Amino acid sequence: MLKVAWSSIRANKVRLLLTSFAIVIGVSFVAGSFVFTDTISTRFDRLFSDISAGVDVYVQPVQPDFGTDFGPIQLSMPESVFDDVMAVDGVADAEAGVGGTAQLVGKDGEVVGGFGPPTLGFSWSEDPDMTPLRIAPENGRPPQAAGEIAIDVATARDKDYQLGDMVGVITTGPVEEFTLVGIANFGDEDNVAGATLVIFEFEEAQRMFGLEGRISQISVAADPGVTSEDLAGRIGAVVPDGVEAITAAQSTADQTAELQEGLSFLTIGLLVFAIIAVFVGSFVIYNTFRIIVAQRTRELALLRAIGATGGQVTRMVVLEALIIAFVSSLIGILGGIVLSQLLAAALSAGGLGFPDGPLTLLPRTVIVGILVGVVVTVVASVLPARRAARIPPVAAMRADLSATPRKDLRTRAIVGVIVVGFGGSLVLVGLFTSISNGLVLLGVGAGLAFLGVSILAPLAARPFALFVGWPIRKAFTVAGDLAVQNTRRQPRRTASTASALMIGVALVVFVAIFGASIKVSIGNTVGEIFPADISASSTNFTSGVSPQFTDELRMLPEIEQVTTLNSPQVRFQELQMDATGSAIEPATSEGMIFTGATPEAITKLAATDGLLVLEEIEGTDLLLGETYTIEFPNGVTGPVEVVGVFTDGNFGDFIITRDRYATGVEVLTDQLVLANASQGVSVDEAAAAADALTADYPNVQVQTKSELVADAESQIDGLLAIFTGLLALAIIIAILGITNTLALSIIERTREIGLLRAIGMSRRQLRRMVRWESVIIAVFGAMLGMVTGAVLGWIVVLALRDEGLGDFAIPVGQLITLILVAGIAGVVAAIYPAWKASRLNILDAIAYE
Amino acid sequence: MTSAISVTDAAKIYGTGDAAVTALAGVTASFEQGKFTAIMGPSGSGKSTLLHCLAGLDSLDRGDVLLGDVELGALSDKDLTLVRREKIGFIFQAFNLIPTLTAKENILLPLSIAGHTADPDWYDEVVHAVGLEDRLGHRPSELSGGEQQRVAAARALVSRPDIVFADEPSGNLDSKSGAELLAFMRTAVDDFGQTIVMVTHDAFAASHADRVIFLDDGQIIAELMDPTSEQILDKMKQLGD
Repeated sequence: MLKVAWSSIRANKVRLLLTSFAIVIGVSFVAGSFVFTDTISTRFDRLFSDISAGVDVYVQPVQPDFGTDFGPIQLSMPESVFDDVMAVDGVADAEAGVGGTAQLVGKDGEVVGGFGPPTLGFSWSEDPDMTPLRIAPENGRPPQAAGEIAIDVATARDKDYQLGDMVGVITTGPVEEFTLVGIANFGDEDNVAGATLVIFEFEEAQRMFGLEGRISQISVAADPGVTSEDLAGRIGAVVPDGVEAITAAQSTADQTAELQEGLSFLTIGLLVFAIIAVFVGSFVIYNTFRIIVAQRTRELALLRAIGATGGQVTRMVVLEALIIAFVSSLIGILGGIVLSQLLAAALSAGGLGFPDGPLTLLPRTVIVGILVGVVVTVVASVLPARRAARIPPVAAMRADLSATPRKDLRTRAIVGVIVVGFGGSLVLVGLFTSISNGLVLLGVGAGLAFLGVSILAPLAARPFALFVGWPIRKAFTVAGDLAVQNTRRQPRRTASTASALMIGVALVVFVAIFGASIKVSIGNTVGEIFPADISASSTNFTSGVSPQFTDELRMLPEIEQVTTLNSPQVRFQELQMDATGSAIEPATSEGMIFTGATPEAITKLAATDGLLVLEEIEGTDLLLGETYTIEFPNGVTGPVEVVGVFTDGNFGDFIITRDRYATGVEVLTDQLVLANASQGVSVDEAAAAADALTADYPNVQVQTKSELVADAESQIDGLLAIFTGLLALAIIIAILGITNTLALSIIERTREIGLLRAIGMSRRQLRRMVRWESVIIAVFGAMLGMVTGAVLGWIVVLALRDEGLGDFAIPVGQLITLILVAGIAGVVAAIYPAWKASRLNILDAIAYE
Repeated sequence: MTSAISVTDAAKIYGTGDAAVTALAGVTASFEQGKFTAIMGPSGSGKSTLLHCLAGLDSLDRGDVLLGDVELGALSDKDLTLVRREKIGFIFQAFNLIPTLTAKENILLPLSIAGHTADPDWYDEVVHAVGLEDRLGHRPSELSGGEQQRVAAARALVSRPDIVFADEPSGNLDSKSGAELLAFMRTAVDDFGQTIVMVTHDAFAASHADRVIFLDDGQIIAELMDPTSEQILDKMKQLGD
């Protein structure tokens, strides 16, 4: 049986290639995501250990176990901790460091970096054992006084900075000028992860980060014979509350874990697309094996006639699938390695550099890759294989095999509707459960819905082909007519081929509709909740808008009213509940920020320095009139009374005052500053005046209300483009599926094509026939996908109405483009089968065996 | 006597070296217009190859085929397609029809491929002659084998080709259906002046022809005019010895 399976594979190389492509792509994505994260983790792990090579223990503020650690939460500890540490027995040497976010201003006046790789600033370490930073003799010297800095080699090279240049630097206040005295390597690297590094003299660093008398971290080297764990324990016993001592190894592990978490959105994204690719691919595989079995009916019947059991025939077909799966999984793993390299290269091009190092291919990657490929292929081929087993031996003797028994359409309709319904309900359940696997339910539900639609699709295939085929028949009489008839001939084959395309198109349509709806909603929401004329925000995640800028803004005659908005993360200690909310300035927020709170509630908030709770969770989580202890990520706690409610969920679960928020951060900057133009001053004039201030604050951007809305929308456009690009892969797999089906159908119809050629059909007409057949299948799939995707999008948008996503929008232009693209894709898919059909030898085709 | 198609010194060899098989070894023949010619011979005699080469489905290694005043060997694939479309009709042993088209669509297929419309009178006459008036809306799977072959015959005639080639047209039919089909082919020659060349190994089928050519080892070895079945069988026996 192995021999028969093997010879069948060898005899059909092209078919093998097309079938395996789907598996290769799916496995590539799975393996690629693993290889990528493993490689990055290994390399960073090594880098972090290199950094801490001469360090045994780090002493640092306790990291908050809730909230994110970027943003204005710059944790620090008193300088006195350093003396405590030095006094500990077993400490050979220690060095205090200060760090934070620092951005360089380029020669063009623009800030360097922003959303992307970190922009780090820290103090120079005198002890070379305690730092990976090295300044080669020809690259100057370390900063030794106020007004001096060193920067990393890569940034100096990219931004064309020379020793002696005056360089602008922004931390928490306005831009300041520094003399560039040194250019530093990071170990042997020019750079680390694309970050820009700014190095100050120690006290200058304290001043720049607003941390006078405070430090961020202490690196400690142990005496010989004292272990890191030991020393960490000893130091831990003497440091004050809120400060911890961890071993360098622990620090490396923590940082690597944090990095992995940061990259997890990429890994998960890749895996999701792997699942989509594999799902679409399984349709292609299923279809291919069905056709193969149909074509080999006579051969399989002969095997049965000479004594093979049904089980043996099934196993033979599955075995053939297994061999294909195994080989293509291996290719897929290689593809994954290539993919991971491409991804790393793309991220590097985007400014995120990765340290050099070997590729990490863990056994787990290979095993999972092969498992995915094999399981999917075998599952997809089992049904066709069982069909093969049901072929009666007498079929070997029958000449006419074209007539396949008609299955009961009603059963198909009922099963299809049930599966669609079940999938749809899962989607709804997934949407309405707050449990964490809601998204998984949503995905499984959508998958089932696709499956159901593909079960129903054969019912629609015949009428659809007539409908779409009508103009084709009119325009290309014979070729068009035959094309339409061919797609109607085996509605199940047409439908399952189209179904693969349906999935890709449905997802694209879903994303487009979802995106368009979000865009409309966000546009409306931003306009509604921030009625202010202009806004100012930081051009990066971390630094925020300096309060000095806000003060200067208040002074402008063109500006009338200024207020700020921040998003604090706090823990309600009594409830052990972590929550994100907003911090406002009650005195100035009226008419600038619309939270749905009554003016009385705002007044009360100001008067009591209390807390407003989101109406939805009042009574369930937080009770009106109750007093709770809230904790900020820096460890500061305080009692707060719930004095009122607000209604808009965009502001999170609670609202507190900016004054209270200020107690929870070391250095206060603002995430969003809102301002109104003075009476008689146009919005553009006010914005221009505010913009003039940013000369000193290059990391602040001033936007009018309409610019703010456009900005929010364009961010969504960018995301949509990425999603659509990745989903295009699923569509390519589906198109190869069409190619495969057509190529196989042509083999099946050899005789018919020979006859057509014999009675005078030209090669051109034949190619046209195949082409139109392909276009009909493609457009059928695209239309099915469009309807499915639209319904799915409609359900999701409707369900998320309460989340501020109530405006269902259909991007008509995109949908029309999609149908056209599907048609063109059909033409492309037909190139090979059409060529093959037109090259068929007439004599072979009509020869009676 | 005008010849509809003629072949001069036709030679065809399949394969090379030890595996080489000589299918035609210098055949010269001419087929009269308005006559029914049968080509007979045992399996491997080259009769099918001769038919394929005459019909422009296969090319000769040596020699010429002259269809009217057109030399087939000189034509490109495209021109050959046009010749088949305009001047030649076919009836094969089986798989003659496109399963997705109705009988009527199948009959009219060569005309639609060429972008021509049928002459309605001629179409009616042909359909009447094959006796398929009631079956025109059916698809091949709903027709009997005999009906299918009669549809194929109607299709071969409806474009008024210069010559119709038939390859064992009754080979897959029961004797009654076969007789009906052959009778119709005879009628086409007698009443419509159609030229037909048919390959067969069945003496009864060949007896409907005006002339029978016997082929063996790629050469013409005998010929009979206006034969009866008995004469053909005798000749076959004689040649077999």
